[in-house]
Amino acid sequence: MERISPHQFMTLGAAVLLGTTFLPVASIVTGVGGRDGWMSVLPGFAVGIPYGLMVFSLLEQYPQKNLLTISETLLGKWIGKIIGTIFILITGYLGGLLLGQVGDIYQVSTMPVTPLGVFYLGGLLLVFYLVNSGIEVLGFSEVVFPLIVIALLLNIGLSIPRIEQGELLPILSEGFKPIFIGAFKVTPFVMTYMLFLAGIIAFLPTGKQELRQLKTGVWRTVFLVGILDTLVVLIQMLVFGPAETIRVVYGLLVLGKMVEVSRTVAGVESIFLGVWFGAAVLKISSLFFAAIWGLETVFGLKGLKWNLAMGVAFLGIAFRFIRGPSLIMEIGLVDEYLIVPFISLWVPILWGVSLWKKGASVRRMRPQSGGQG
Amino acid sequence: MGSWLKMIKELTIRPKGDKQIRKSPSYSFDEELNKPLSGQTIKEILSKSSDVVFREFFLQGKERIPCILAAVDGLVDKNLLDQFILKPLMVDLAGHPELAQVTLLNVVDKTLQSLLPGLEIKKISKMGDAIDAILSGDSVIFFGNLTEAIVIGARGWESRGVAEPITESIVKGPREGFSETLRTNTSLLRRKIKHPSLRIISLKLGEMTNTDLVVTYIEKIASPDIVSEVLRRLSSIKMDGMLGNGYIEEMIEDNPYSPFPQISFTERPDVLAGKLLEGKVGIICDGTPIVLVVPAVLTQFLNVNEDYYQRAMVAILSRFVRYVGAFVAIVAPSVYIAVTTFHQEIIPTDLLMSISAGREGVPFPALLEALTMTITLEILQEAGLRLPKPIGQTIGIVGALIIGEAAVTAGLVSPLMVIIIGLTAVSSYAIPTFDLSLAVRLMRFPLMILAGILGFFGVAVGLYAILIHLLSLRSFGVPYLSPIAPLRIRALLQDTFVRAPWWALKRRPQLMDVEEPRPNGKG
Repeated sequence: MERISPHQFMTLGAAVLLGTTFLPVASIVTGVGGRDGWMSVLPGFAVGIPYGLMVFSLLEQYPQKNLLTISETLLGKWIGKIIGTIFILITGYLGGLLLGQVGDIYQVSTMPVTPLGVFYLGGLLLVFYLVNSGIEVLGFSEVVFPLIVIALLLNIGLSIPRIEQGELLPILSEGFKPIFIGAFKVTPFVMTYMLFLAGIIAFLPTGKQELRQLKTGVWRTVFLVGILDTLVVLIQMLVFGPAETIRVVYGLLVLGKMVEVSRTVAGVESIFLGVWFGAAVLKISSLFFAAIWGLETVFGLKGLKWNLAMGVAFLGIAFRFIRGPSLIMEIGLVDEYLIVPFISLWVPILWGVSLWKKGASVRRMRPQSGGQG
Repeated sequence: MGSWLKMIKELTIRPKGDKQIRKSPSYSFDEELNKPLSGQTIKEILSKSSDVVFREFFLQGKERIPCILAAVDGLVDKNLLDQFILKPLMVDLAGHPELAQVTLLNVVDKTLQSLLPGLEIKKISKMGDAIDAILSGDSVIFFGNLTEAIVIGARGWESRGVAEPITESIVKGPREGFSETLRTNTSLLRRKIKHPSLRIISLKLGEMTNTDLVVTYIEKIASPDIVSEVLRRLSSIKMDGMLGNGYIEEMIEDNPYSPFPQISFTERPDVLAGKLLEGKVGIICDGTPIVLVVPAVLTQFLNVNEDYYQRAMVAILSRFVRYVGAFVAIVAPSVYIAVTTFHQEIIPTDLLMSISAGREGVPFPALLEALTMTITLEILQEAGLRLPKPIGQTIGIVGALIIGEAAVTAGLVSPLMVIIIGLTAVSSYAIPTFDLSLAVRLMRFPLMILAGILGFFGVAVGLYAILIHLLSLRSFGVPYLSPIAPLRIRALLQDTFVRAPWWALKRRPQLMDVEEPRPNGKG
């Protein structure tokens, strides 16, 4: 069975979590949190830490099993299958929507006359190639994460001359409430990561030391991505001000368009988009993986033809939502009304039931050992 | 239809398990090989070839024993045979007390023990062994109708001496290179590594050619899994002709459909010794000066031996230049096409005006312009390779200059395009390994087409597809992008993008399982 190391898990997780979040995050948090919205990113991401620890606690008890298999073990076959079906639908649907977002962003920002289908097909071909190469190759995608970080930092760094410090003030003028609301808006990002985590845990090592490294990996991933996204929101706030940050959905691309380096290179938006595209492919691949793991676990369907069927489903969903606003709205709805409730209930319930069953089995063992002693 | 599909399948899918390629037909003497040894039978089988000589003589011992000495003219050292084999047996030992005791029953043992001097003498009793020995350049003496014979190692043929390798010339470092003779090559290696743990395992490949080859590695340093995998893959090859390392390379590499080389090669004993000390395995084949080394990772194709003889800072700079060169060689034309066709906004206005002025009057789109120029360049390179060296160089330089100049003057291509293609060509020469350079040349074309159709999106799709392909490649179980992915920071900083000073190379590279400290640098 293929395996990925704790380090690969961390960088892959960070790439998946960062994936498609750094473009819309500023608009989302500023929309609800105003000029203090940037402070809500890190707390929003931190919500993922207890969930991650619960998942690893389950991994410790059920090594080499994904959460779907664990659900069937703990909650019974049929409840497990219902959960699995919901899981497949959510991951497949979100993956298709994100594929649609690839086409949308490219068409809106740099290539308005190229048909959308070309972008979908290009993205899906890469996703398919990556998925067919196996989870180990996805694990090796740790090589892409530094590229994303460098591109982000360059974009942020090159925008510093345009900063206007006054845009940030006054701080906390409306108290802490906007930060809490903003954090709630960020939570879906980390919950999407949990969807991927639910499937990938079957490929993670389960030794004591490795489990410790994996748990540390979750902390590091969440904080690293949280800090990066905070910086992204902050720079947009400082350059555009709150009103414009809310209005421009893909503000980072606009920042890229404004860059000019010594009259040699200008408008690096298209180069930045190339890096974002890599991150998006990783994220969509992770959802594709999650969906096919679901198919395999719940219905026993696996192999090339089912992967192809899932690819066709992704394409169909991408084509269903043609343009920006409706697509962004749909992603938001899926995030808030499907993923957040699903993960918020599923993971803690599983964890709780596992603890209860563990306690019950310990209680059953006690009288026996007492009798023997 | 079925036969067409079968043919296409045969031509495109490498068989798993035993790789039986062009297996020899069975010959009339195949069944003779298992029969008891006999000089007369051997004579019947081999006498149709005029280069196989049979010298018949009598050994005058206690009884008169008829003998036949068989050898291939041109493969044996005639002087050695005359002076140290035939002369002692026929002249010098006549009347010697030892010879006087020799009968047909003890002639083989007596000859081995006390009649013939020499290091490489042994007894054989199989027909197949006798034929192999004769055709490999050894001499065999048959005694009467005995089913035993003596093989005498008296090989001696014309061969190229140890010369400086053409493909891996360096400024500071040894000048010797491998030659076409297997034993010369193993001796060159042995002179570099004088340690009992150096293992040299002999094999034969090719049912008709019976080519000798050796697998060499250092025990305790090389991973036993990789060694056994190399031996397994080599022994699974079944083909009638094995005329060079290229045959072996295609038969044992992990992914035959990849344009990227998965097995490295060298002509230098010092390079092979260095690689063995890193835990790799060498395959030396008789008849070629090229030695294969496995496993191979991408970054090592961009490093050269000179790096280890130069000061660390110089080596780091050279490596940086090579990595940049490789990147430019892959993406320069496609980026130019994407920028001029789709993403003019990336260029500041002044530069854009200058580029536009250069392209004014050019009737073709940038993609066609670049493709034409690149194909012309490839033709010039190919023509230069096939011609004699001085003419080849002239063709390359004059062709590029004259055709480029003429194309610009005629308004067929823009001057900037000539610069871009020239830069690409020069950058590809910075890639030190020919195989990798070919792969880069091959990758350039789809990237240009993608850039011409889809701009930076196409370039991104192409580059990510190449990246995924590289991530999925393995060379004998070792990830091809190691130590970048999976990330091994020590190896990365030690001897990949940079070459740390010798005093800092305390551990062997972490490409494989072996991670023991090395006592005195790389070795």
